[in-house]
Amino acid sequence: MKPEDFDSYWQRLEQELIRVEQAPECTEIPLRSTPEGKLFGLHLTSLGGYRIFVYYCVPHGKGPFPVIYRLPNYGSVVHIPPFEERCNHIAVALCHRGQRLSDQPFAASYPGLLTQGIESPHTYIYREIAADCLRVMDFLLTREEVDQGRISLVGGDLAIWTAAMRSQAFALYYAPSLFYKSLHKASSSSHYPLEEFNDFLRAFPESKGQVETTLKYFEPINFASSVAMSTMMVEESEGDGDDLAMAFGREIDRCTTYHSSFRDGVRQAQWLADKLETGEPLLPEHWS
Amino acid sequence: MIKPDDFDTFWGELLECAEKIPLNASLSLDTMRSTEQVEVFEVHYDSLNDVRVAGWYCLPRIRPRPLPGRVFYPGYISEPTLPKDYAEQGYACFGAAPRGKLRSNLQFNPGYPGLLTHNLVDRQSYAYQGFYVDAIRVIDFLTEQPEVDSERIGIQGSSQGGALTLVAAALRPQVKAASAGAPYLTGVVDAIDLTRTYPYEEINDYLRLHPQNREAMIKTWNYYDCINFADRIQCPIIVYIGLQDDVCPPETAYPLMDRIRSPEKKLYAYDGHGHDANHHVHDEVVDTFFDDHLKT
Repeated sequence: MKPEDFDSYWQRLEQELIRVEQAPECTEIPLRSTPEGKLFGLHLTSLGGYRIFVYYCVPHGKGPFPVIYRLPNYGSVVHIPPFEERCNHIAVALCHRGQRLSDQPFAASYPGLLTQGIESPHTYIYREIAADCLRVMDFLLTREEVDQGRISLVGGDLAIWTAAMRSQAFALYYAPSLFYKSLHKASSSSHYPLEEFNDFLRAFPESKGQVETTLKYFEPINFASSVAMSTMMVEESEGDGDDLAMAFGREIDRCTTYHSSFRDGVRQAQWLADKLETGEPLLPEHWS
Repeated sequence: MIKPDDFDTFWGELLECAEKIPLNASLSLDTMRSTEQVEVFEVHYDSLNDVRVAGWYCLPRIRPRPLPGRVFYPGYISEPTLPKDYAEQGYACFGAAPRGKLRSNLQFNPGYPGLLTHNLVDRQSYAYQGFYVDAIRVIDFLTEQPEVDSERIGIQGSSQGGALTLVAAALRPQVKAASAGAPYLTGVVDAIDLTRTYPYEEINDYLRLHPQNREAMIKTWNYYDCINFADRIQCPIIVYIGLQDDVCPPETAYPLMDRIRSPEKKLYAYDGHGHDANHHVHDEVVDTFFDDHLKT
């Protein structure tokens, strides 16, 4: 169920974010640059004046270039974008607040981050993390080297939030993750990170209603209808995401994970290359 | 990969040095992470260079007799695990967090990327020296716990966790059984030429900027490569790889298997799989392997 004030909740975030200057600071990291392109450490200011770090990789040659913007997974470390993507795309990887390189002054706990401030949608840490994701898109939209018509988003629920709130992106490659039917999935799991929800509810059972309310603001089903771009959704098992797919209100591409980083990786690279019209994708040697 | 003549002396002296450092282990019950079935403790212990190292220790609440132990080593970028589900199955479980990982990074924090090339040209201070020692001291911790049957300790991990498994199995012969997935830090000098994927790419980045240090890097790695530890592994061991692994090239697993001396060793090579090494299916093989070796 979508909260009645869902749209105004996120509009308020947008209003707060727009008042914060991006203050971009882009510094080449020579250690990570290659003959194929430069890698920059990009710092931006996000909600609350928080300074976030982003890997920003620009290939040599004449732009503008298509973009692959990878939204982070759950964990403290974000990898530098893959070499193969960096050769012919602007490859972007955000370290949201709390993750390493964006961990001053706030270093996230793992486990812990998933329930931080979860008692209210206004204090939940993922409200600010969502702002960090949007901030990077705002930066991309100002850049001459970016092909504004060919920005793709890749990731879990942070990617669908970003896609819903930044329609300028062209394609979304999305695998539902921690916020899709969170409590339902947590109730039948003892694995982290979902177990963090169970831990929290065991410790604070009286908060269950508040937690349910908060999570509705982050439930991907409630974002799907705002995503208009080309979309591929990767499901855990066949039919697993039926209600989410329905929520898009249109046909989207769907597939089931192979549980193989090789086969899933090849499919992702091919889908992105098709949408971004970049020809045959460059793949790691072991995938060819 | 050349095994230095003084490889055993190098590690012998280090272990001797480490053994002089008492663990000074502290256990703190984490009530929020504990359940009706499992107690979760945050553990800290001392290790090389006086670095205080953390870990998660999970115990079934009902434990009528000494438990088999099971150690879970983390991947390069992954967070140390809280293996509550295995504690529910009757194991004393430890999720290791060697130095630099969250909760073990107050005194040593080269970062990610960074760990792999921290003091890369000096075997005496290379990042993985303390990291390896932290990993093997988990076995020492479990051995000290009265609720653990020290003759039934199994160790496991994938990627860097696989590498730490190999090193710990080599340096702690009391380990009863080991399972290493997609082993990292194995055949490193070859691996960096076979892949452009991180974390190995960290070394390529480093050598692009410091090509003059290639020989020094190789010299260091000869003391840390898992292939050079392999001939000391005597316990039953299974290794599993994906034949399309772009992170830890599968080619490096074969010389590793050749060098392992254990009479009970098996390699599972999965075609159609990358760095996942088919763990989605293979995890069941691992669980059965440990049940067979540790619970009977």
